[in-house]
Amino acid sequence: MITKITKLLGVGALALGASFGTARAADTVKVGVLHSLSGTMAISETSLRDVLLFTFDEINAKGGVLGKKIEPVVVDGASNWPLFAEKAKQLLEQDKVAVTFGCWTSVSRKSVLPVYEKNNGLLFYPVQYEGEEESKNVAYTAEAVNQQATPAVDYYLAEGKKKFYLLGSDYVYPQTTNLVLLEYLLSKGVPLANIGGGFKKDESGKIISAGKYTPFGHTDYQQIVAEIKQFAASGDACVISTLNGDTNVPFFKEYAAAGLSAETCPVVSFSISEDEFRGLPAKQLVGQLGCWTYFQSINTPANKKFVADFQAWLKTTKTPGIVKEGRVTCSPMVLSYVGVYLWKAAVEKAGSFDVDKVRAAYQSGLSFDGPGGKVTTQKNMHVTKNVFIGETKADGQFKIVKSFDNVYGEPWLKGKFKAK
Amino acid sequence: MTPSATGRSYLGSRRTEFIVVGLIAFFLIVVFPLLNAFGIVSNFTITLWGKYLCYALLAISVDLLWGYTGLLSLGQALFFSLGGYMMGMHLMRMIGDLGQYHKPIPDFLVFLGWSELPTFWKPFSSFPFALTMVLLVPGLLALVFGFLAFRSRIKGVYFSILTQALTYGASLMFFRNDMLMGGNNGFTDYKFILGYDIRDAATQRALYITTAVMLLLVYTGCRWLSGTKFGLVQQAIRDGENRALFSGYATAHFKLFVFVLAALIASIGGCLFVPQAGIINPEEMKPEKSLEAVVWVAVGGRGTLVGPIVGAIGINALKSWATRAFPDYWLIILGVLFIIVVLFLPGGVVSLAGKVRRLFSAKTAPDSAKP
Amino acid sequence: MNFFYSALRLLAFTALALGSALAAADTARQTIARAALAEAPAQRIEIITLLIGSGDESIAPLLNAWKEDALFLYSAPAGSKIPVQLSGDKDEQGAQAATSVDTGQPILAPTGRPLRLIAADLTAVEHNGALRRAMKAVLDLLDLSTANVEKRVRAIQTIGSSQNVEKLPALQARAKIETAPAAQLALREAIALIQLKSPDTPTKLAALKELETLHTIASADPLKAALKEAETANHPSVANAARAALNAVDSHLMTVNFFGTLFRGLSLGSVLLVVALGLAITFGLMGVINMAHGEMIAVGAYTTYVVQNLFGEGMDLMIPFTRIGVHLPGAHLTGWVYQTYFIVAIPLSFLAAAVVGIGLERSVIRFLYRRPLESLLATWGVSLVLQQLFKLTFGSNNVQVSSPSYLSGNWTYQDIIFGWNRVFVIGFAAFIVVGVWLVLTKTPLGLLIRAVMQNRSMASCMGIRTERVNMLTFGLGSGLAGLAGAFLSQIGNVGPSMGQNYIVDCFMTVVVGGVGNIAGTVISALGIGLADQSLQQILLNPVLGKILVLVSIILFLQWRPAGIFVTRSRSLD
Repeated sequence: MITKITKLLGVGALALGASFGTARAADTVKVGVLHSLSGTMAISETSLRDVLLFTFDEINAKGGVLGKKIEPVVVDGASNWPLFAEKAKQLLEQDKVAVTFGCWTSVSRKSVLPVYEKNNGLLFYPVQYEGEEESKNVAYTAEAVNQQATPAVDYYLAEGKKKFYLLGSDYVYPQTTNLVLLEYLLSKGVPLANIGGGFKKDESGKIISAGKYTPFGHTDYQQIVAEIKQFAASGDACVISTLNGDTNVPFFKEYAAAGLSAETCPVVSFSISEDEFRGLPAKQLVGQLGCWTYFQSINTPANKKFVADFQAWLKTTKTPGIVKEGRVTCSPMVLSYVGVYLWKAAVEKAGSFDVDKVRAAYQSGLSFDGPGGKVTTQKNMHVTKNVFIGETKADGQFKIVKSFDNVYGEPWLKGKFKAK
Repeated sequence: MTPSATGRSYLGSRRTEFIVVGLIAFFLIVVFPLLNAFGIVSNFTITLWGKYLCYALLAISVDLLWGYTGLLSLGQALFFSLGGYMMGMHLMRMIGDLGQYHKPIPDFLVFLGWSELPTFWKPFSSFPFALTMVLLVPGLLALVFGFLAFRSRIKGVYFSILTQALTYGASLMFFRNDMLMGGNNGFTDYKFILGYDIRDAATQRALYITTAVMLLLVYTGCRWLSGTKFGLVQQAIRDGENRALFSGYATAHFKLFVFVLAALIASIGGCLFVPQAGIINPEEMKPEKSLEAVVWVAVGGRGTLVGPIVGAIGINALKSWATRAFPDYWLIILGVLFIIVVLFLPGGVVSLAGKVRRLFSAKTAPDSAKP
Repeated sequence: MNFFYSALRLLAFTALALGSALAAADTARQTIARAALAEAPAQRIEIITLLIGSGDESIAPLLNAWKEDALFLYSAPAGSKIPVQLSGDKDEQGAQAATSVDTGQPILAPTGRPLRLIAADLTAVEHNGALRRAMKAVLDLLDLSTANVEKRVRAIQTIGSSQNVEKLPALQARAKIETAPAAQLALREAIALIQLKSPDTPTKLAALKELETLHTIASADPLKAALKEAETANHPSVANAARAALNAVDSHLMTVNFFGTLFRGLSLGSVLLVVALGLAITFGLMGVINMAHGEMIAVGAYTTYVVQNLFGEGMDLMIPFTRIGVHLPGAHLTGWVYQTYFIVAIPLSFLAAAVVGIGLERSVIRFLYRRPLESLLATWGVSLVLQQLFKLTFGSNNVQVSSPSYLSGNWTYQDIIFGWNRVFVIGFAAFIVVGVWLVLTKTPLGLLIRAVMQNRSMASCMGIRTERVNMLTFGLGSGLAGLAGAFLSQIGNVGPSMGQNYIVDCFMTVVVGGVGNIAGTVISALGIGLADQSLQQILLNPVLGKILVLVSIILFLQWRPAGIFVTRSRSLD
C-alpha cells in the first residue's frame, strides 16, 4: 500500500511539477501560445504556432518589447475544448503570461473566454469568425463576417451571378455567416427562391437557419452535389461554401466529377487558405475563389520580405516538430503575426504590460503596416484591414482579382441588412 | 480469473484497506482543499484534480460494467456527457442576462433566432429539477437501451459495438444546432451555481470537495456491492453467463441493473465535471472519449475499484504533462503504454503492487491476474 | 453575364461595320496578339469581343492557351514585346519552341535558328474572370459550329439560358443543319427558352408546349419566371401552359432524383463494402476486433500518394523520431503514362497494408486470439501510434492525391449523373468480392483459412500451421483495407486520421451483415448505402439521415442480434 500512496503522490507531483514553468528571468516577458498541436485541429493550428515563434524571434532580435525579450510559453490544446480552458487557466494563473495568442475554432475561444474574463487576461484571436461577440479581454485580429463573406457576395453580384447556394459545416461560424448573407442577399434584391440550400423556420415563419450543413468529417457529398447541379442548371449560379478543413476534399472531388467547374458554377470558400490548399486536389480547384484579408501572392515589398524572412527562419529554427518543406503563408498566420506587433505597439504606447493599460492603448487606434497592408485597431477590439478576393491557381496560390481597402471590422451584423 | 480476489490480495486484510482508503480520502477531501485555502496548492491544481476525480467516477462506471460484469461498454462517455448536459442546462439558465446579447435566454438560442425559452428548457431553472434530470435522463436511456440489448441477448463484442454506435449517433445528434442544445459549441461561459460565482476559488474548492466525497461514496458503495450476493452473481455472469443463467439467475435483469447503475455513476461524474471544466459539448460524446475511459480502466487495473481511479488520475496527469512536454509524441506514448499493458499486464498497474508483494513474501500464490 | 449582353450588343451594332473592317485588316491571330499587348484589362476585353462571330480555327487554341497561362510576352532584343506561344517538348533547360501569336510562325533567333524560350523566364499574359467570360462568349459562338457535339451542346445551352432574342436567328439557322440528336434537343430547348421572352402570345404558348415536351431541368427557372409574369399580367392561358410545363419538369426531376438516389446509394454501398470487407475477414472470420482497420486504410491511401509522387515530381519524407528528411526522386512522367500511376498503386496498396497488417499480427494480435475484447483495446493503441507515425512522416496536413482523368469525369444520361469514380467503385467492389470469394472457396489457402477460423485447435491438431494461416488471413484482411484506401484517395482526403471517419461505419456494416459471413456484409453494405442516400434525399439533411440509419441499425439488431446471416454453431459461448 505504501507503494500505492507514493505512486499516487508521484503522479500528483508530476502534474504539479508540470504546472510550474521554467525559471523566470527579469528581462523577459512571458507570452502564451495556445493552439492545438495534436488532434484534429493540429492540421491548421500548428502553422500559427510556427509563425508566432518566428515573430517572437524577429522582435527579440530587434531588442524585444520595452527592452524585455519575449519568452513564449507554448501549450497544446490538443483539439480538446475543456483542455483549452484548462491550459488557458494554467497560462494565466501559473505562468502569469502578459498576453496569449491562440485559438482557432469558435468553440475553443468560447471555452477559454470565461477564463480570460475572470483573470482579466488578454487573448489575441486570429481566425475568421462569426462575430456576435465583443469581449474586452479578446483582441479580434480575425476577419469579421463583413471582412470576408459580404465582400465575396459583392464580387459575385458584380459578376452578374443571380443564384446563390449556401453550404457549410454545422457549427456557429457557418450558421451565422449564412444568416448574415441571407439578409445581405435579400437586401441586394436577390429573391428568396434564388438562394439555395434550404431554410429552417420557427413557428412564426421567421427564418432561423439558411443553407445546407454537414458535420465535420462528412465524406459523402453525392446528394448535395447533385442538388447543386440541378440548382445551377439554369446558369448564373454560384456556391458560397463555409465547409471546414477536411470536408473540402470530398466535396471538391465530387464537384469536379459531376462536371461542375469554376466556369459553370464557381465556389467561394472562406475556410480554404494557402495552408489548407496543400492538402486539396489543386487541379480540380483552379478558378474557384477565396476571400481573405491576406494572400501570399500580394505583390508588395513588405509581403515579399515577410515571406522570405519566414522561410529563412524555418530553415534555421531548432524548435522540434516544425515542418520545413513546402511551407506557405496564409491569412490566419499573418493575422497572428500582425497581432503580435499590434500588441507590441500597444504595450509600447502604454509603457506597461498591464492588461488594462495595454487594452486602453490598443483601443485608441494603433496602426501597423503588415504583409497584407495597413491594419488599424478599433474601439471594439476588432481591426480595420484590407480584403482581397483571389482565384485559386494550380500551384496552390491565389491570384488576386479584387481588393477592398480599409474595411471596418463589424462583429454585430445580424439584423443589420434590411430586405428590399 | 478472479480480479476481485486480486483486489483483496494486494490490499491485504479489510482493516488495512479501511485504513489506506481512509487516509487517502482524508488527504483528498480535507488536507488538499485546506492546502488550497492557505494558498499552498494553487486554484489551478485544485480544479485540475477536481476534473481528474470526475474522470475517476467515469472510470469506475466503466469498470463496474467491464471489470465486474464482463460488459465492455464503449459508450459510457455518453452518460457522462448527458449528466453534464443536464447540469449545463441549469448553469446556462443561471447566466441570466449576463451573456453576450444581454437577453434573459442563453446566447445560442438568441443566435438561433429564439426570443423566448423553448418549453423543455423552462424547468431547468430549478436546481433540484436539474439534479433529478441528471439521474433520470441517463438512467432512462440506459434502461431502454439495456432492456432492448439484454432482452435480445446481445453480448460481447456486439454489445461494445452497439454502445459505440449509440454514442456516435448521440454525438451527431447533439452536434446539430437544431437540437437546441448549443450545437458544436455546447454550453460554456457559466457564471453562477446556487448563487455563488462559479469562477470563484472558494466555489471551485467546494465543487472539488463535493466530487471527492462523491467518489468516496461511490467507491464505498461499489465495494459493498461487490461483496454482496448481488456482486457475486454479477461476477458469475462475467465468468460464465450461461452457467449463471442455467443456475436460475435472470442474468438479463442483473445486467440491466448494473448497466443503469453504471450510467448513473457516469452521469454524476459528468454533472460534477461540467461546472469545474466550464464547458460541455458533443465532442465529449465521441466514441474516442469512451475508449479513453476504457484505457484508464485497463491501465489502472480492471476488476478492482482502485484500478480505475489510479488509471483515470494517472493517465490524465500524464496527459496534462506530456501534451506540453512532448506534443508530438504524446499519442505514441499513450498508444505504446496501452499496448504494453494489454499484452503484458492484463491486471493493470495495481496488479504490479501485488506482484511486488509476492516477490518479497516469496509465497507461491497462483497468478491471479491471468485472464 | 452583364458582360455577355454588352458583348452581344456590341456585336450587333459594331461588328458589321467595324468587325468586318478589322477582319479585313487583322486576322484573328493578329487581333489576339493585339489584345495580349493591350495594357488595361478593359481594353483587352474590348478587343477580344471583336472576335465574336469569327469562325477562325486559330482562335480556340490561342484563347485556351491564354486561359491556361501558356501565352507569354517575350521581350525581343530590339526592345519590342512580342506575344508568343510555347509548344513542343521541353529540352534539358526546359526551353520550348516559341511561335509568334500574330503569325503562327516560329520566331527566329538572331542566329536564324528557331528561338527556344523557357516558360519560367517569361511572364504569362494575365487574364481575369471578366476576360475569360469574354473569351467564353467568343468560344460559345465558335462552338456553335464546332465538330465536337458535347461542346456544341454546351454552347447552345449557354445561349439558351441567356434568353437573348438577338441570338435566335443564329440558333434557328443552326437548327436547320444540325444532325446530332443531342444538339437538336438542346437547340429546341434554347429556341423555346428564347421564344418564352417573345411578346407574341401564340409563340409563347408554342414555346411552353415545346418546353413541356422537353421538360429539362434548366428550363425550371425561366418557366417559373414566365409563370409569375403571366400571373401578374393576368394571362390565364399562358399561366396554365407554364404550369403544365413546370409540372412536367417536376415529374422529370422526381424520376431523376429517384434513379440518382438509387445510383448514389449503390455507390455509397460499394464504398462501404470496399472499406468493410477487410474487416469482415479480420473481425468476422478471425474474431479480432481491429480498431486499427482505419489506419490500414490510411496505409493504402498513403501508398497511392507515394506512388503518385514517384511517377511525378518526387517527394520529401521525414523519418519519424529523427530530424532526417529523405527525398524520393520522381520519374517526372507526364500524360497517360503518369495517369497509370493509380493502376500501379492498387496492388502496391494491397501489399503495403498487408505487410503492415502481418507485422501487427506478429507483434501484437497473435497474443490476443483468446481475448477478443482485449484485441480491441490493443489495436486501438496501435491505431493511435500509427496515426502519429503518419503525422511524423507525411506531416499533419492532408496530402494531395489527384484523380487520373479516367476517374474524374462523368456520363450524364437523362440528367442523372454517373460519375466515373462512382461507376469504378461499383465495379471495384464487385471485383474484390468475387476475388475474396474465389480465394476463400477455391484455393487451398481459403480452405485452410476456413478450417482454422472454424476451429482453431482442431485445425491445429490436423497438422495445419495455424500460426501461419492466422498471419496470412490477417494480412489478407489488412490488404483489402489497403485497397479501400487506394480507392478512397480518389474521393476523399488522405490524412493521418482519415481512417477514423470510416471505422464506426465499417463495424456497423459487418455486424449488421452477420459476423463471419461475407455475403451478409455485401447485403448490409448495399442496404445501408441505399438507406442512407434515400433518407438524405427525402429529408434533405445529411446528418439526420445518418442518425436515422444508426438508430435503425440498433433496432434491427434487437430483432436479429446476430445480423442478417447467422453463422450457426452448436457451441454455447
